[in-house]
Amino acid sequence: MKRSMQKKIEPFIYLTPALLVFIFIFGYPLARLAMMSFQRPSQGQQVFVGLTNYKSVFSDSVFMTAVKNNAMLLICVPIMVVIALILAVFLFERIRGWQFYRTTLFLPYLLPITVVGLVFSYIFQLSGVLNEFLAFIGLEQFGLDWLGSPRYALYTLMFVVIWKEVGFGVVLFLARLMSVEEELFDAAKIDGANWWQLQWYITVPQLATVIEFFTVVSVITMLSWVFNYVYVMTAGGPGNSTMVTELYIYLTGFRYNQMNIASAVAVLLLLVTGVLIFLELRLRERSEPMQVLG
Amino acid sequence: MLQSTDTLIPAFQAAAAAKEGPDIQYFWGGVWTLESVWAGALIPLDDLIPAEERAHYINNFERTFEGKQYGIGWYLSGNPFVYNPKLFEQAGLSVTDLPDTWDELKAACTKLNEAGIIPIAGGLKDGWFGGWLFSIIGRQPHDSEKAFMEASVGQSKFTDPQFAEWWSRLKELIDAGCWNKDINSLDYQQGQDLFVQGKAAMIFGNDTFLKGWADVIGWDQIGVMPVPKYGSGKLADTYVVTAQGWGITSWSKYPKQAADFLMFMHTPERLNAWFQYTGVFPADDRLDTSLITIPQLKQIFEWDTTRSGPNLENFIPSMLDEQSNFAGVQLLFAGEKTPEELAQMAEEVIAKWREQNPDAVKNFELWLK
Repeated sequence: MKRSMQKKIEPFIYLTPALLVFIFIFGYPLARLAMMSFQRPSQGQQVFVGLTNYKSVFSDSVFMTAVKNNAMLLICVPIMVVIALILAVFLFERIRGWQFYRTTLFLPYLLPITVVGLVFSYIFQLSGVLNEFLAFIGLEQFGLDWLGSPRYALYTLMFVVIWKEVGFGVVLFLARLMSVEEELFDAAKIDGANWWQLQWYITVPQLATVIEFFTVVSVITMLSWVFNYVYVMTAGGPGNSTMVTELYIYLTGFRYNQMNIASAVAVLLLLVTGVLIFLELRLRERSEPMQVLG
Repeated sequence: MLQSTDTLIPAFQAAAAAKEGPDIQYFWGGVWTLESVWAGALIPLDDLIPAEERAHYINNFERTFEGKQYGIGWYLSGNPFVYNPKLFEQAGLSVTDLPDTWDELKAACTKLNEAGIIPIAGGLKDGWFGGWLFSIIGRQPHDSEKAFMEASVGQSKFTDPQFAEWWSRLKELIDAGCWNKDINSLDYQQGQDLFVQGKAAMIFGNDTFLKGWADVIGWDQIGVMPVPKYGSGKLADTYVVTAQGWGITSWSKYPKQAADFLMFMHTPERLNAWFQYTGVFPADDRLDTSLITIPQLKQIFEWDTTRSGPNLENFIPSMLDEQSNFAGVQLLFAGEKTPEELAQMAEEVIAKWREQNPDAVKNFELWLK
């Protein structure tokens, strides 16, 4: 009995040092963040104010704009999935020069966001490369103030995010496709399946778990990993039209010196992202037995 | 190491939270210094630097709170209205009879446009220039920076005519075709380049940039003039100038030595060397003025010493600057909001600031006294 008890406890003893480090590195800051979100400074002291900061945040039109913009950015996710899927299928079919295209498509993902942001900032200026080109080919009327107009800036930003992030999906999908047994495709072809049927009944189901993974990662990206794009390309403007929650947190904490409000938003963002990560883990758990069975 | 504002401020806030870090920190004036005072990160210098020494430092008022001085100026940063005399002549404008009024400025814009020259260059994408325009244009109906502090704490409203007018005046310049059309898609630096490249005839500049510009295009293509007037407040006749400066941190183990170092930086040798190397004026009246040989710089130093006025961005909450001035100016140029709507937006932002920052409101009220 004692021996079996010891066996049960033993792994936890080995885990303890790592667990302590984990708690110190992640647990303490998270607890502190949560605590700050319920406090406000008063006469040099931090005092408990309950949900006041959260109420303030939800009544702030700039925050609501940021949330709305993050939600708009989610539109990028299905677009990225579809584009990545199509490109991965073409590459898998080894079209002429596929190795070159594979490298080219993945290259944007490797580039630093700041570099991408700066380059596209120049391209999308009112007097930038794109509008100059449009004028050159006689399509001047299609030249817009891509980054300078509150009507178009978010869409321009979405285009750049898609351009940069889609390569990750292509590589993921392609890697999975390459591990699919070719017999599946051969059998379907013998049964008379056309190209669309091959994709719909074999490629997509085989990629399901990877698509789920890429979707969840991309959703998390759109919610909590777009700061650099926004900071470099638009700084949240014009007129808050590209404000996102990350930038809102940064500005509130470091420009307006309101760490407590910034903490409340950070907690909200963490909760939403946490739910998505949980969802991703559940999806993986669900798909693992299926893979074994398959 | 050269650091951007967006690096420097968070780095110092982290240091202040840990009560560990530099003995001396660089700060902009006004609220940018005093927020650190209110957070307990800076100490008063009154007992460390003698009053007769401090009397030589320019713009001490920006760092004074409840009668104590929490920092000292290092160098002056002013906002002259800069023009290119060659482009003015090319457009048939006089360089001896410069625009004095808003109407004359708009008329000059028309002439420059007819000559195919961008009248005024700017870049708003990064927001900062919106704050400059607020400080440079928004001041004119007012007598003192205290008016803006009073409105910030709710004693008046940013929708009141004297606060709202600048939005209309800026709109007038937009309607008169005074600005580069791509202003919203350029950041300030890129807007500034239009002037340095000789494409734009005027710019709301900064005197710390002048020597750098002159190194590229020559002093003969740089003229300075007061901002044309539309308002009749006392601030309309002032030259916007702030002193960028230093403070000594509350955790410093060597405040006396830190203060001695700051005084050393204000010795005549240091002041003169600073000016000779940078072309920027130190925040000290002991600069050897015989070193100022460039007429444009002589003019600016005269403004610095005879008609200096506050940079209003230093006397309002930074949230108002960012969410009203930065964002509002972008929306005005994009044609998405009217001046009236923007005045209302300013009032809404400041109401939100008051709700979210009751402690800061109290500090502003104390600062006002």
